[in-house]
Amino acid sequence: MRLPLKSGWLLVLPFLLLVGGLFLGPILNVLWISVTEPAPGFGNYAQLGSSDTLRRILWTTLRVCVMCTAFSVILGYSIAYAMVHATGPAQSRMLGLLLISFWISVLVRTFSWLMLLGRNGVVNSTLDALGIISAPIPFMRNELGVLIGMVHYMVPYAVLPIFAAMQSIDGRVVQASRSLGGSGAQTFWRIYLPMTKPGVVAASLVVFIINLGFYVIPAVLGGGKVLMVAEYISVQVLITLQWGTAAMLAAILLFGVLALMFLMSRFMKLSTVFGGART
Amino acid sequence: MHDKNFMRETLLQGAQAFQAGKMQRRSFLALCGMAGFASASVLAGKAEAAASEIVMWNWGGQSEECHQSAIGAAFTQDTGVPLKFDTSGPLQGKIKEMVDSGNVTADVCDADLFDAVALGKTGHLEALDYSVIDKTKTIDGYALEFGISIILYGYAFMYDTQAYPDGPPTSWADFFDTAKFPGTRSLYKWANGSLEAALMADGVEKDKLYPLDIDRALKKITAIKADTIYWGSGSEAQSMIVNGEVSMGMVWQNRGRSIETETNGRYKLVMNQALAMPGAYIVPKGNPGGADVMKFIATAQSVPAQLDLFACLGMTPTNPEAIAQMAEVDQPYSITSAANMPMIALNDPTWWGENTDAAVNAFLAAIS
Amino acid sequence: MTKGNGSLCLTSLSKRYGAFTAVDNVNLQIEKGEFLTLLGPSGSGKTTLLMMIAGFQDISEGDILLGGVSIAQTPAEKRNFGMVFQGYALFPHMSVHDNIAYPLSVRRRPKAEIDARVAEMLDLVRLNGFAKRLPKELSGGQQQRVALARALCFAPPVLLLDEPLGALDKKLRVEVQAQLKEIHRRVGTTFVYVTHDQEEALSMSDRIVIMQNGRIEQVGTPADLYQNPKTAFAASFLGKSNFLHRDDAVFALRPEKIDLSPEGQGMGANKVSGVVLSVTYFGAVLKYQVEVPGMDPIEVDVDAWRSGQALPQGARVDLTWADSAAVRLLDQSL
Repeated sequence: MRLPLKSGWLLVLPFLLLVGGLFLGPILNVLWISVTEPAPGFGNYAQLGSSDTLRRILWTTLRVCVMCTAFSVILGYSIAYAMVHATGPAQSRMLGLLLISFWISVLVRTFSWLMLLGRNGVVNSTLDALGIISAPIPFMRNELGVLIGMVHYMVPYAVLPIFAAMQSIDGRVVQASRSLGGSGAQTFWRIYLPMTKPGVVAASLVVFIINLGFYVIPAVLGGGKVLMVAEYISVQVLITLQWGTAAMLAAILLFGVLALMFLMSRFMKLSTVFGGART
Repeated sequence: MHDKNFMRETLLQGAQAFQAGKMQRRSFLALCGMAGFASASVLAGKAEAAASEIVMWNWGGQSEECHQSAIGAAFTQDTGVPLKFDTSGPLQGKIKEMVDSGNVTADVCDADLFDAVALGKTGHLEALDYSVIDKTKTIDGYALEFGISIILYGYAFMYDTQAYPDGPPTSWADFFDTAKFPGTRSLYKWANGSLEAALMADGVEKDKLYPLDIDRALKKITAIKADTIYWGSGSEAQSMIVNGEVSMGMVWQNRGRSIETETNGRYKLVMNQALAMPGAYIVPKGNPGGADVMKFIATAQSVPAQLDLFACLGMTPTNPEAIAQMAEVDQPYSITSAANMPMIALNDPTWWGENTDAAVNAFLAAIS
Repeated sequence: MTKGNGSLCLTSLSKRYGAFTAVDNVNLQIEKGEFLTLLGPSGSGKTTLLMMIAGFQDISEGDILLGGVSIAQTPAEKRNFGMVFQGYALFPHMSVHDNIAYPLSVRRRPKAEIDARVAEMLDLVRLNGFAKRLPKELSGGQQQRVALARALCFAPPVLLLDEPLGALDKKLRVEVQAQLKEIHRRVGTTFVYVTHDQEEALSMSDRIVIMQNGRIEQVGTPADLYQNPKTAFAASFLGKSNFLHRDDAVFALRPEKIDLSPEGQGMGANKVSGVVLSVTYFGAVLKYQVEVPGMDPIEVDVDAWRSGQALPQGARVDLTWADSAAVRLLDQSL
């Protein structure tokens, strides 16, 4: 008797089952909990309509994530531009520094920011000593603090896809623009930026999606007042035991990300964004 | 969560807890959401608790050493059963998940007494055997069906002595009065303690706090929201004070002593109207070690164990005999000492066990 | 736009990278409307020279004058030189129309003018109907023509071409050469063309500049260079040459200028005898290699249809040539 599947599929079958079990299983479990706890139905989702708090938390999350994505990508773009135009050794050094920053733990970063920009931090003390300010500038323990911390964390994630996109640009195309009369600004806006768009889109997606799950930085640098959805989910799971609400919010995040990917895919091929062939 | 953070005595421990938070973020990244917890705890459950040992589920670090030396050594000597640790932190959600999964690997959790109320009601805990454990060796009302208080911690506030030279704040009323005592405040962000403090500030008698009037408390809290920052862990509360971010800050009372030392006395602890919190031992339903765990809890009640825990972790004993034997210099920092007892309020674990979700979510809605 | 009057003049132009000299004291006058080719092997400095003219390379020494005015400090985009790059450097995210329109669009010309001009250019390069395509949807030859149209669209006084046919296959290249020549004739723009392909240089150029090691080896019309190479390098890089040593001088002798006949039948001012080492049939010509005692093997090209039966390997032959066939070189020795 012939097997209904090609033998190649049999070879990857155990792995597929593993992926299915470890990845899809938990996701389905979350979705299931979101419509069964505490009572079957869509009561958890109905909270979105009735609860100002949930809507405010989602709005805070969205607002902070969008701002953080914008700043991270703009900064990341500048850094990638500098890197791509640096000479070999300098470029390696910059890349090295960038990768090292991946290894700095979130905790160290948050405490460092507090030391630097806190009420009695280095910056405020210096400005105060110089007589520039009379009261400390509230950099930390608010939304600005959350943004600073998150942008700092996310910039390397933004740099890499943009850097890759920039590296793939043929320098002659830029020269062509100049030789045809394009000024520096025209060349950037009309040639360089559109050609790096896949990198920018990839960076924005990666940064935005990672941002959605941020927990420690908003919790610490926000001074408790910037409540984002990941922290709220954690509280509902661990402290208040409202798993249905938590699962619903997790599902909302999942659907939100999927919808975002779908929207993006309508404007450009995602395979291009993630380094696939451009055909 | 309360207990979790309370147990973190050092920055290092704080770091570990944040790491846990970071891992959780990653699991969301992978869109596994809560399922990440589930699989993590299933994987963590590998260390199987045989009947020949007792596994304590706590927060690790210093508290692991202290429990081993203060209780474990004596317990093993008496029974021959060794004490092992699972240091992943027994939050309510994790205990519930462990019991629901049927793969129970811990015998006793170093938790809060309100956890005993909440999880006992839902059938996730074993009832304690009071023929082995002694109800009289704890504070009145803190020996419950599903948990007993072994140590106490508490909520109090500290103030900057240099900020208020004309007369220091002495009560929660002063703490919430930003006109008379200007400056930034800090409060605990999971409601516990903060609500009681607000009500006492609003004039509620310390022995008539419960049931808590959440709305009234939140009104008081939101009134000073612009001047308040909120902490989620003991180390965070400590650094807010030590770094001068606040002029008055709520802390876990047992940390007050070390903060006074660290700031060379610039910040001072106010014990008046402190809220005593019963830390408790609870036993997950179907614990692998069986009845031996009751002997372990009884051992923890003994005077030497209680005094050792105070020396090691700074937590106040619950056994009245142990409190009576405490050294004179330790008395002011022991929340239920004879001198402190008339000033303090006692937490009602039953109210919190039944109302944590409503209180925490209302609090979060108010401060965010 | 720059007035299109006047020639391009390079005076004592040099480019150095540290100790390395990429372009060494180049003096050259390029006439208006001329098709001038910079020919040389890779590393000869021809592309660097072109990039200096384009404004993409700084000048270490010397000057570049357009119509008598120095443009050495003028940035590339202000020089108004069209440029066709190796690999075309089309803008991949823009349609053919937008690529060609780009130079006018950055000059903020009215849309109607742009559209008319783009249509004109598409007509010139025979790509009508391709306006909406993206570059990746075109063949190599078509892309090359878009690049040309784009570079000519704003009627630059000078068009710089950097090995524009390098990526095309042999057959297509010959075709495009003819088209390029035709377009040059029609638009009348000065073409400065870089290539390492001698046939391309010979077939298209008004004048050729042979470069080596950053210097100009020789400048002249194709016929002039071919007939009267001044150096062994020029003689061997442009066509083939045999080199003869006579009276402490070196002479270049083109293979097709030698008559080959069976031994004893050779008649001419200059005559040597030798043995056929090899003979190869190339359709139009027969290429012989002849061993002559005391000399390097001599190559001889013979009209295949005129000579009849090829002489076999090992045959003894006479080689003869006219005095005027051997060109005395400046080189003292090789």
